[in-house]
Amino acid sequence: MIEEKLIEIENLTKMYGNHVGVKDLNLAVHKGEIMGFLGPNGAGKTTTIRSCLALIAKTAGKITIFGLDSHRDSVAIREKTGYLPGDFGLIPSVKVSSYLKYLLSLRGCERTEKMMPLAKRLELDLNRKTNELSKGNKLKVGIIQALMADPDLIIMDEPTSGLDPLMKQEFCRILREEKNHGKTIFMSSHILADVERVCDRVAIIRKGQVKVVEEIQTLQEKTGKVLEVEFGDPFTIDEFKLEGVSEIQEDNGRIIMTIHENLDGVIDAVSNHRILNMNLKTYSLEQLFLKYYRAGEDSERGDA
Amino acid sequence: MMAGRVAYMELRTGWKGLLIFSLLILVISVGIVQIFPTFRDSMIEELEGANKVSLELPEEQGGNITLSWESLDNASSYMVLEDTRLSMVTAKLKYAGRETSITFEKNFEEKRYYSVMALLNETSDPMLIGIATTEKGENPFQELMQNPFYKAFTGGRNINMLETKGFITLEFFSWWWMFAGLFIAYLSVSIVASDFENRHMDVLLSTPVSRRHYLIEKFTAMTITAFLVILVATAGLAGGLASINALNEFPLDIVFLSLIGCLPFLMLITAVGILTAVLFQKVRAGMGITFAFVFAEFFLLAFGGFSKSLEWMKTVSIFKYWDYSSVIIDGSFKAGDFLLLTILAIALLIIGIQIFQKKDIPA
Repeated sequence: MIEEKLIEIENLTKMYGNHVGVKDLNLAVHKGEIMGFLGPNGAGKTTTIRSCLALIAKTAGKITIFGLDSHRDSVAIREKTGYLPGDFGLIPSVKVSSYLKYLLSLRGCERTEKMMPLAKRLELDLNRKTNELSKGNKLKVGIIQALMADPDLIIMDEPTSGLDPLMKQEFCRILREEKNHGKTIFMSSHILADVERVCDRVAIIRKGQVKVVEEIQTLQEKTGKVLEVEFGDPFTIDEFKLEGVSEIQEDNGRIIMTIHENLDGVIDAVSNHRILNMNLKTYSLEQLFLKYYRAGEDSERGDA
Repeated sequence: MMAGRVAYMELRTGWKGLLIFSLLILVISVGIVQIFPTFRDSMIEELEGANKVSLELPEEQGGNITLSWESLDNASSYMVLEDTRLSMVTAKLKYAGRETSITFEKNFEEKRYYSVMALLNETSDPMLIGIATTEKGENPFQELMQNPFYKAFTGGRNINMLETKGFITLEFFSWWWMFAGLFIAYLSVSIVASDFENRHMDVLLSTPVSRRHYLIEKFTAMTITAFLVILVATAGLAGGLASINALNEFPLDIVFLSLIGCLPFLMLITAVGILTAVLFQKVRAGMGITFAFVFAEFFLLAFGGFSKSLEWMKTVSIFKYWDYSSVIIDGSFKAGDFLLLTILAIALLIIGIQIFQKKDIPA
């Protein structure tokens, strides 16, 4: 099946004086998917996103959204796009509900039927004043304003950093619902687990360039998860040499292994023993880079 | 998007500040008019004081001048100073003694001023008895009011401070520009620059509001604000004038016309404020530059009035094109100037829009 490209970024370069924001970046976001944009701070995620919305002028390259030119047809694109900036700021000293209605009106929309339920789900009091909000609550206002006008495309820059775990869950549910309604979501994050939880595909950016675009499932299979189990009885490493398991180590009564697939089999093997403690961890972004792209980095160094 | 939304929000969030400012304008405009009767009475008293000195001029050059003055009971002696300037900064001692009259030869052509003072017994400070001039029919006290600094603002017109019109022209309008101008300068910079500083610009410009539209709406909000400020000042001045029964001398339509003339002047300041906000994206920097602009324009007009060779300065000052004294004293409203400043303000706004469309919004 040929996927329809909703956002197509071709050879995007953005220079800030002599400093490179992004260089020859290529990326496509398909209609109806949730695309995660993953990378460490300063990698160029925000620059890419803000170029899409014409908040900054690109130095070179082309961005097409809904088949329209991102700069020339910016207003038409924004009519169908909701956006949460990475550093979301609002008008001080107004009621949150008034502020949201104001932003709705700027979109030529007076319908508030989506705003109220979103506020309820994110546990945000709309009667508060904008200057009284905590950082987390401000972010909730930002999330609501990006979604409330029912846009076809939702672009979010670091939407999860600042939400507590319960809210993150609710937020992910909301995003999946949006996807089920046919919306396209492009969100950046520097936290791998947040992207894994909700995204269909992920693009990994480092030093201003997209290094890889992968289905989340493929990424998970390739990187795996780290399982750490502490046993109350003797065991041998050989017991865990199963299919889809690698890097098995023993450490003072504990076993540490990387699971790529076959979690069932691993659980069976583990349950043959008395378990004192168990921990299943996702690789951190840095570990992911070290593990998944070590070869790439090595070859880069080799070229240099 | 719905037109007028950004402007409406600006007015909605800024109404408290506008209300406080309006109250201040009311208090000051009504208050200044209230001062007038007291000021006039004390001035008349002072002018009468000048009559305590009389000067008799000779029929022809080379004759004698007789300068006499009223004696004071507690005076130990008298002192007469002579100068070619009314300011008496280069005065020479003409006479010191107990006489109350002196006679001397008129061996000069230019105008001279004589200031007569009494030295009192109990204090060391001399007391002014009066001032006289060799120019017939001139009152040196009234001349004192015609400071070249003032003259620049009255278009060289003779302003009588003892009339309501003259008093309001000099005492109200000579600071009104600063009061209204700086308020508008502050607001126009901050309504744009604060959207940058509050990190609100990203959200605003992610809605289908174009940058052009955004700036036009901010400009509109400021023009409405300036108009409201003018209406409040009109109400304040007219109210004050009514309370001292002076509305027949200075009617409401003249009050309004003299003030509405500053609308394009304030619009121009708004355009400069918006332009600097777009350029520097910081409230402080923008405000510093806009304030400097207003003061620079003011001094161009003021210095331009000092001599003929400096008159070009007036032409490039925006203050020249808001001639309130033309309305108040001559009763003529300069529609051409009004239009010129309006066009200039719109031109500056267009430049601001052009710059804004090319600028990156800082993250």
